[in-house]
Amino acid sequence: MSLMQCDFRPLAIAGVIFLLTDLSECQGAEPVFFTKDVRPLLARHCLACHGADEDARQADLRLDLPPAPDANSETAAAIVPRHPDRSELINRITSADPDRRMPPPDSGHSMTPEEIVVVRQWIAEGAHYETHWAFEPPQRPDLPAVSDETWCRNPIDFFVRQQLDAHTLTPSPPAEPAVLLRRLVLDLTGLPPSETQAAEFLKDHSDESYERLVDELLASPGFGEHWARMWLDLARYADTKGYEKDQPRTMWRYRDWVIDAFNQDMPFDQMTREQIAGDLLPDATVNQQLATAYHRNTMTNDEGGTDNEEFRMAAVKDRVDTTVQVWMGLTMGCAKCHSHKYDPISQREYYRFLAYFDQTEDEDRPDDAPKLSTPTTEQSRRLAELNTQIAEVRQRYQVSTPEYATAKQAWISEQARQPAWRPTTPVAATSENGSVLTIRKDGSVLASGERPATDVYSITIDPQSAVKDSPLTAIRLEAMTHPSLPRGGPGRTKNDPNFVLSELTVEEVDHDGNPIRQLPLANSRADFSQNNWEVQKAIDGDPSTGWAISPQQGQPHTAIFQLQKAVAIPPGLRLRLKLSQQYPANSLLLGCVRISVSDRTFESLSADPLGLSEIAAVPESERSDEQNKQLDDAFRRIFPQTATIWNELAELEERVKTLNAEIPQTPVMKDRPPEKARTTYVHVRGNFLEHGDRVQPQLPEAFGQVSEELPANRLAVAEWLLSKDNPLTARVMVNRLWARFFGRGLVETEEDFGQQGSLPTHPALLDWLAIEFRTTDQWSIKRFLKRLVLSSAYRQSSVVTDSSRQLDPENRWLSRSPRFRLSAEVIRDQALAASGLLSRRIGGPSVMPPQPDGIWKATYSSLKWETAENEDRWRRGLYTFLRRTSPYPSMITFDAGSGEVCQIRRIRTNTPLQALVTLNDPVYIEAAGGLARSAASVESMFRRLLVRAPRDEELQRLQQLQQQVAAEFQASPQSAADLLTEARVTEPELADRQALAVRIVLASVLLNLDETVTRP
Amino acid sequence: MNLHFQRLQLQTRRHLLQSSGTGLGAIALASLMNSSRGEESSMPGASDVARAARTGMAKARSVIYLHMAGSPSQLELFDYKPALEKFHNKECPQEYLEGKRFAFIRGVPKMLAGQFRFAQHGDAGQWISELLPEFSKVSDAACVLRTVNTDQFNHAPAQLLLHTGQPRLGNPAMGSWVTWGLGSENQDLPGFVVLASGGKTPSAGKSLWGSGFLPTIYQGVQCRTTGDPVLHLSDPKGISRTTRRQTLDALRDLNEMQFQYVGDPETQTRIGQYELAFRMQTAVPEVMDISREPEHILKLYGAVPGFSSAAESADDPRVLYKGDDPTFANNCLLARRLVEQGVRFVQLYDWGWDHHGSSPGESIDETLPIKARQIDRAVAGLLTDLRQRGLLDSTLVIWGGEFGRTPMMQNNVRDTLQKGFIGRDHHPYAYTMWMAGGGIKPGTAWGQTDEIGYYIGENPVGVRDLQATILHLLGIDPYRFSFPWQGLDNRLIGPTSDGKVVQGILA
Repeated sequence: MSLMQCDFRPLAIAGVIFLLTDLSECQGAEPVFFTKDVRPLLARHCLACHGADEDARQADLRLDLPPAPDANSETAAAIVPRHPDRSELINRITSADPDRRMPPPDSGHSMTPEEIVVVRQWIAEGAHYETHWAFEPPQRPDLPAVSDETWCRNPIDFFVRQQLDAHTLTPSPPAEPAVLLRRLVLDLTGLPPSETQAAEFLKDHSDESYERLVDELLASPGFGEHWARMWLDLARYADTKGYEKDQPRTMWRYRDWVIDAFNQDMPFDQMTREQIAGDLLPDATVNQQLATAYHRNTMTNDEGGTDNEEFRMAAVKDRVDTTVQVWMGLTMGCAKCHSHKYDPISQREYYRFLAYFDQTEDEDRPDDAPKLSTPTTEQSRRLAELNTQIAEVRQRYQVSTPEYATAKQAWISEQARQPAWRPTTPVAATSENGSVLTIRKDGSVLASGERPATDVYSITIDPQSAVKDSPLTAIRLEAMTHPSLPRGGPGRTKNDPNFVLSELTVEEVDHDGNPIRQLPLANSRADFSQNNWEVQKAIDGDPSTGWAISPQQGQPHTAIFQLQKAVAIPPGLRLRLKLSQQYPANSLLLGCVRISVSDRTFESLSADPLGLSEIAAVPESERSDEQNKQLDDAFRRIFPQTATIWNELAELEERVKTLNAEIPQTPVMKDRPPEKARTTYVHVRGNFLEHGDRVQPQLPEAFGQVSEELPANRLAVAEWLLSKDNPLTARVMVNRLWARFFGRGLVETEEDFGQQGSLPTHPALLDWLAIEFRTTDQWSIKRFLKRLVLSSAYRQSSVVTDSSRQLDPENRWLSRSPRFRLSAEVIRDQALAASGLLSRRIGGPSVMPPQPDGIWKATYSSLKWETAENEDRWRRGLYTFLRRTSPYPSMITFDAGSGEVCQIRRIRTNTPLQALVTLNDPVYIEAAGGLARSAASVESMFRRLLVRAPRDEELQRLQQLQQQVAAEFQASPQSAADLLTEARVTEPELADRQALAVRIVLASVLLNLDETVTRP
Repeated sequence: MNLHFQRLQLQTRRHLLQSSGTGLGAIALASLMNSSRGEESSMPGASDVARAARTGMAKARSVIYLHMAGSPSQLELFDYKPALEKFHNKECPQEYLEGKRFAFIRGVPKMLAGQFRFAQHGDAGQWISELLPEFSKVSDAACVLRTVNTDQFNHAPAQLLLHTGQPRLGNPAMGSWVTWGLGSENQDLPGFVVLASGGKTPSAGKSLWGSGFLPTIYQGVQCRTTGDPVLHLSDPKGISRTTRRQTLDALRDLNEMQFQYVGDPETQTRIGQYELAFRMQTAVPEVMDISREPEHILKLYGAVPGFSSAAESADDPRVLYKGDDPTFANNCLLARRLVEQGVRFVQLYDWGWDHHGSSPGESIDETLPIKARQIDRAVAGLLTDLRQRGLLDSTLVIWGGEFGRTPMMQNNVRDTLQKGFIGRDHHPYAYTMWMAGGGIKPGTAWGQTDEIGYYIGENPVGVRDLQATILHLLGIDPYRFSFPWQGLDNRLIGPTSDGKVVQGILA
């Protein structure tokens, strides 16, 4: 049946009670509907054991669907249409025998007599099942007939008016211009109207002027910031990784992506596609890949001993649950452990759906890989500029004169004739802590046997065998791979064949090994160094630092070290190298090393595993391009005409490197290559260690099929969410947008459109909006919102009249505009904006405005709250650094979330702690200071916040307070001075500081008015 | 009549009404006031949903929960295992390692005998370690549970499971559940108060006292030991109490005008909340001021008014263990003062019990005795003081960590026993907690572990059992006590019926 038929008539309670007393009267009552009336009762009392969950199902009886045609006789006897008295269901729910009674008395459930009457009536009327309304695609309804078309500015109003008519209600008169203006600007931008906006609109509040203002607001940058905050709740955005350690994470580029998306009015289908699967789009841009950080907002657990797979799975499950919650308004989470009790999602289907999300590379690693370099616009510009310069310099550098070619050829021949590095065969190799060191034929030293935590290898070489009499300039250390080492090495530890060379020292020794003198080392280079473990740290004298090579384990690596002074070693004397390896954990020791020596200048030497001279020795016809380039690079560095340009180039490249280091690296989604595809299994009882059947990616049956033309990946999921057969995506989104303007959704449970959720108050309007959003608006959020705010329904007054209070106490039928408390961020932003303090900088890293001392004291983290002293103190609320385990207290007090999981809507509370924030939090004292300083009178402060002028009685009351406080400060000038300091009003030249202090007190009262913190 | 009951009730109902598809008009408001007035005498506070789970058989009125964050070693405090001596410094038998995951232990660790002397104490002859001399003297008040077990072996999830019923974030704390279920008995103070010591908040952070899906009015209010006890409680400098009163009077009048004009009952609620905030500004510092206690009471706890721990701002955790930091003792005394004032649930967290042996600051041989000294007199003083004031019968006191510690020494750092580096890893399979007061059978020990304290011998007490027992003692049916959210009837004891009230420990 269509939604239009599924009319939601009020079920007259009085009628039900009447039915109780005389069942024969039931023919005359309103008919009951399965979806609306019966199913919720069954869901509450019966479906846990007689629902969709096969494993939990008792007596093979399922009550949420009509019995199959081939059902056994017992099942068929449960409900006998039109014959409640012959139906076993009725017998059971009314039985006095505790052994027969359903639900079983020990279940904690029992049906009320009223509920039993409903079930009975439903069976009497034929026991018709209907599909749950939200699983049927929306149909475009016709505009209904209404009592007064002149009230209707656009189709929304027809649907609203129809329900008002049906409930014998009339709409409220239009809101006063000042109220409407403040409402509109707060709703669209989260900021109060500017003085200009107020002046203009109060002068001309015609429909044309209103629409012009709407367009202006939709185009203002504040729009994107305000709506981004709404979306960030859904994206579980935060600036830290969560769990115990809760280390920082760079995610703000994603936050800025969301702001841009709203400001540019990126259509919602594109927003969906890019966030869920931007990386899988053809030729994905950096911005499209950045969008996928949406699903990297899942938490990462850095605690010791945790199983990465456990928390990877937790993240993947969170992605599944969040996707389904945000786009389809369904809760799927419970199907992790067992089939959904109420909605048609079995546990197997859950894991099939999860298989789409199971293929990304991320795996709960501390470094949050994979990450993407995501430069800001400014950084991209600077980078392009530098690259242009580099290209220009490089052109000058790449001279190709005949002189150059000749000189280079001569140099290569020389190199080939005289290998730069000569291997040495050690005469001794010993370990301090018990590693067994074996000298091999190729001159390398292999470690085996005992694997101590730390060690020092001493390797003695005879340089005479390599360089004869020429002075020694440098030493090369090759960390080699070997089949006996885990993953080939070069380290010795199975899980991590990395090594840490903490310190390398060289000494001259006599034939018997007695030390003669130290030979200090000056410079070093390596073919590769781990981040923060640069090779120079192996000769810095600090044993807690060193050279390491992760993540390039499994490959050989080379480091070269310059002797501070070239030294000739007389025959008979030797060199002893001490390779000190002091990393405290995991036995990060070298598995195989070889020492070579050189007599060349250090500048001409390469740290490549294959030295320059070896490359030079390769016949020209056999050299690879890479090898040719290495030779060319090396020679250009010493050829006089190019050497100076090389320095210029090196400096530019250094600047690029510095800039690159500043570019935020944002975690993104990236699929593993097909050969590394993961296999997905059902997790028995949700336990990641207990694998059930293997499953392939597939949608839950109730939700149709993905297009077969698409590969089975996240992109297919996105396309399916957006397909016109999807009954939920558009409805869920329009409902969410509606709720931000009308206080609650047409479906109040924004998070649950399933069978447990609430039913739409205006089903036809919901469908009409969903279809308009998808078709007419082409998923444009701005176009959609414009339609909402242009309606007469939106422009009503919010005054609660006696009649609307009596007939529509909860404002379900929109007989007035709703009043509701502003969000945490808007309360803050409004105060700062009205006071003139608000910084209008958009985007960038998150900021730390003042918060009380000692809030950040989480375990095992060095993260510090460094209170901003510049404009970052007064940025919009969405830029406040959000630490998951310790969110900004004043935001939490006003019901903002912690970003740990997706928050579909914020429940509004009204607590004494909120009063303490707006009375005493320094942000609000400073705002009061700003307001008092920038507005000359109480009246003008009032207007700044509330647009309207104060009524006489209000003004009188404020003036009375003004006199009281003035007297107080007169008696205690120090108090006035203290308050000015608290409010950061420090200019000594300000005249009449006491009057200013009084105004600050008044400003604080204004900031705390119920009207101020409420959307009017 | 208790105004705060009504306020809580109103809050809850408003929340439920809002979230179930209704708002609140002035008429509805009036009717709530009336109905709550009528039921006041028999059913104070709480919401209708919670009310349905009342059993009418409450033994305890309030709870003081002393959580030792990091998890103390039961083998050095309560679970005497002489048999462990014979395995000391020998490799752990393989049967105890197979299929087990540890936080830090790798390979085959060696067994570690209890490091301190045990003796029997009191009429009940409880085995208690020499580290707790003061507690030993009052041990007859407590019931020691030697067989508590959990299925989480990392701090944050284990703490969350214990206190919120789920190892994940986002569920209400036990204190939130209980205040939601029973309301509060003081109109000027929050019903659920959290006090932390040890220099850091516990691993799972503030989620441990969040209200999850329950209305936020039930979230735990952390009273801090330095600065404002409640955030933003103090008026800014320059605002005297007179000025504050005058501003609130003006605010009330202006809000009343607004109410007359717009007619939204939420405005009246806001007026009420500003008045409660004003009262809290006086009541909270008062109740938090332990310098009002006589000398002999301070001494009983080992409390030091005005103490500000140097460790509070220290980054190096080792600093925390130096000296006899009285913060925990101060918090115990505060707990009594709060319970006395009708606060429903006082939750203490003491950080610094994670004794892996990775440094002298985290070791059983050096740190545990210091931590034990910090709590021993305080805990004994609390039990004594509650008893002498007649509060112990109505106050349930609970002590314990989020899991236990292994009978093996931890071997990832050092293989040999070395002073300052003796430690044990996390052990979820069996550990000790104790309970005292409100409905608990005093002077008992419950459950046995095996001869080395690895597994449970008899009478296991799971986290679910513990939760069920606590609710039961407060007069709440743990099975019916549920809150509908996201399609499920959520309960503190979780979705299954695994949790059973431990009948054997009830008085």
